[in-house]
Amino acid sequence: MKKVVKYVVSWFVSLFRVWRREFYLVTHDAGVMLFFVALPLFYPVAYTLIYNPELVEEVPFCVVDDSRSPQSRELVRMADATQSMRFIGYASDMSEARRWLNEKACYGILVIPSDYSVKIETHQQAVVPFYYEMSLLMRYRTFMSALTDIQMAVGDEERQRLVAEAGDAAAGLDVTAIDSQAFFLGDVTQGFASFVIPGILILIIQQSMILGIAMLGGTSRDRQRINGGIDPLAIEATAVATVIGKVLCYILIYAPLTLYMLHYVPLIFGLPHSGVATDYLLFIVPLLLSSAFMGMVMQAFVSERESSLLVVVFTSLIFLFLSGLTWPRYAMDFPWRQLGDIIPATWGVEGFVNINSNGATLSQVPIPYTMLWRLTAIYFLLACLLWKK
Amino acid sequence: MSGLVSTMRREMRRLASRPIYLFAMMAVPIGCALFFMSLLREGLPTKVPVAVVDNDNSALSRQMIRDLDATQLLDINSYYDSYHAALEAVRRGEIYGFFVIPNEFEKNAVAGHSPTLNYYSNMAYFIPGTLSFKGFKTIAVTTTGSVAAMQLVSTGLERDAVGALIQPLAVQDHLIGNPWSNYSIYLCNSFAPGVLALMIMLVTVFSICEEIKRGTSVAWLESARGSIIVALLGKMLPHTLIFSIVGIFIQSLMYGYNHYPLNCPLWVMILAMVLFVVACQGFALFICSVLPNLRLALSVVSLLGVLSFSITGFSFPVENMYGAVAIFSHIVPVRYYFLIYVDQALNGIPLYYSRWYFVALAIFPLVATTMLWRLKKACKNPIYIP
Repeated sequence: MKKVVKYVVSWFVSLFRVWRREFYLVTHDAGVMLFFVALPLFYPVAYTLIYNPELVEEVPFCVVDDSRSPQSRELVRMADATQSMRFIGYASDMSEARRWLNEKACYGILVIPSDYSVKIETHQQAVVPFYYEMSLLMRYRTFMSALTDIQMAVGDEERQRLVAEAGDAAAGLDVTAIDSQAFFLGDVTQGFASFVIPGILILIIQQSMILGIAMLGGTSRDRQRINGGIDPLAIEATAVATVIGKVLCYILIYAPLTLYMLHYVPLIFGLPHSGVATDYLLFIVPLLLSSAFMGMVMQAFVSERESSLLVVVFTSLIFLFLSGLTWPRYAMDFPWRQLGDIIPATWGVEGFVNINSNGATLSQVPIPYTMLWRLTAIYFLLACLLWKK
Repeated sequence: MSGLVSTMRREMRRLASRPIYLFAMMAVPIGCALFFMSLLREGLPTKVPVAVVDNDNSALSRQMIRDLDATQLLDINSYYDSYHAALEAVRRGEIYGFFVIPNEFEKNAVAGHSPTLNYYSNMAYFIPGTLSFKGFKTIAVTTTGSVAAMQLVSTGLERDAVGALIQPLAVQDHLIGNPWSNYSIYLCNSFAPGVLALMIMLVTVFSICEEIKRGTSVAWLESARGSIIVALLGKMLPHTLIFSIVGIFIQSLMYGYNHYPLNCPLWVMILAMVLFVVACQGFALFICSVLPNLRLALSVVSLLGVLSFSITGFSFPVENMYGAVAIFSHIVPVRYYFLIYVDQALNGIPLYYSRWYFVALAIFPLVATTMLWRLKKACKNPIYIP
């Protein structure tokens, strides 16, 4: 019995010593501090500054007006009056309009055919071609949704005019027979920063942690190389105690940073923030743990302090796409979805976005939450196994 | 000349001696390009999972549900009997939007009481949110038009005149270059070169500053007879060759295998790729000269390289960014490669319009030469600060 107690006590002492040594190593390494502290502090600000204008507005377009009628000028006025579109001028013909497009003076061409006013006057359908420059889908989307609104407005106007012309037979008839209204959930202003930043925050947590941990591993390998295979700064302890001790150190450093990123960054920049603090902070615990253990697993693939960057940095892009933030997971092929399943950020993004942007409670994101705990267990076991070796 | 040849030989031996080079120069760029192409193979993530809340249960509401389901964009995967139940499904992430048909909808519509159709799209997920919005809106618009037309017919107007009034103004969409609004074309053409740029900059910094870290930079300079220019040419040219081949291979995957739009002569894109590779090397060389320290230079290049995906305006247009932020888009090489791709491969406009982008790519290596004296100093006295 005494022996067991003694073993347990010494185990905890070694855990504490690992933790203390790791804390010393982290705080005395400018490179690691850059990833552990500076990156979580400044990257969210940099990203939000890039995307903070939120909306694509006043996209320039030009008009080829072959109708030259009050009706066609009214259509151009309607388009110019929208928040999304900005009229830059009449082109004399299609080739001049194409030249403006080539010079990037505008990104869309509205062509009003010569029979436009006649068609409108005689209650026939008027067809108006619009040419979209397709380099950025955001511009296309902006034009398209403004044009749909114009189509609807013209439709209402024309129907009302017809009723007026029909006289007594249709008197009192309300031709706007149905109202429809669109509501946007999660990102009510449809802003780009409001959409992308909550997910990016989770990826920053995971990737900065992995980068820092990989760098610590590479540095330790560097020391081993100089000292004949032994790291002089390593603490004598079991694999389990070593892994837990180190991860406790990382979690302690990340606790205040996580609060800053997940609570204060959305507050400062007016991003969606409708979740309850206890929900997303509890949710994020397994994300921190699984990311830290995953970082310890990745240490096995890093042989040198600096090459860790060559191995880890590009994975941010892969993990961003696998997370389903830009390309939805339901549209992915099965193998890619499975690969995404084993990345903590995938579940972190899904759960955090649902809590933070859509106002879900912790109990409404059971799958991401349990998956994160499973990944925590798996990466913990892997980290311990790889440490023994 | 023999200095150049011996430096190139030396560099080729170094490249062959470490698997990290094979990994970073070939496996990562090609692997990532294949990843993007495979992941986005479908082009458009249609069949967005959505739900319907039908409180009316009339012939008209059932017709609308059939119309919703028939659109390419939507996949009605569940029905709920209240707004709250549907909202919960959004929060659980099961659906990306829902369409609410109110009580007594058909009755009120026919009687002209203007009932309201509400539809909800989850914009926290941009693409599915947008697509569900588009699908819902189309059905709301056509239903409005057809009900209005039905009423006008009932007042005795001619059927022919009314038909056109379902949609008096129709905008005919012409999508230049990418008529399918295919995300794959758009994302692969920007993100694959982006990853290539990141890896070129990392490898360039790594191979130069590692010489300083390990103290081999003296031998490196000696093999080039003491000339930093010859030393760099000898070191960089093998990289330029390998990265250009990798880049052209990625282009062949996009334009050849996947038939992405290539509306310009092939040599234009190949030239752009080679200039782009050299520009990225020049950018990295400049960073190494200012900060001849392996760890610092690598960290800077990593941080800038990842940010460059956002700052170049692949997704959010540069002209809509804050001016003070947008200005940084001019200092990353991948921005100019992207603009050349847009002008040439996508839109196929005369080369004249892209002339300055080619010039900009050519300027990067020239700027790098201005700081070489610092790099030379560091190479002569290699001190490693961890």
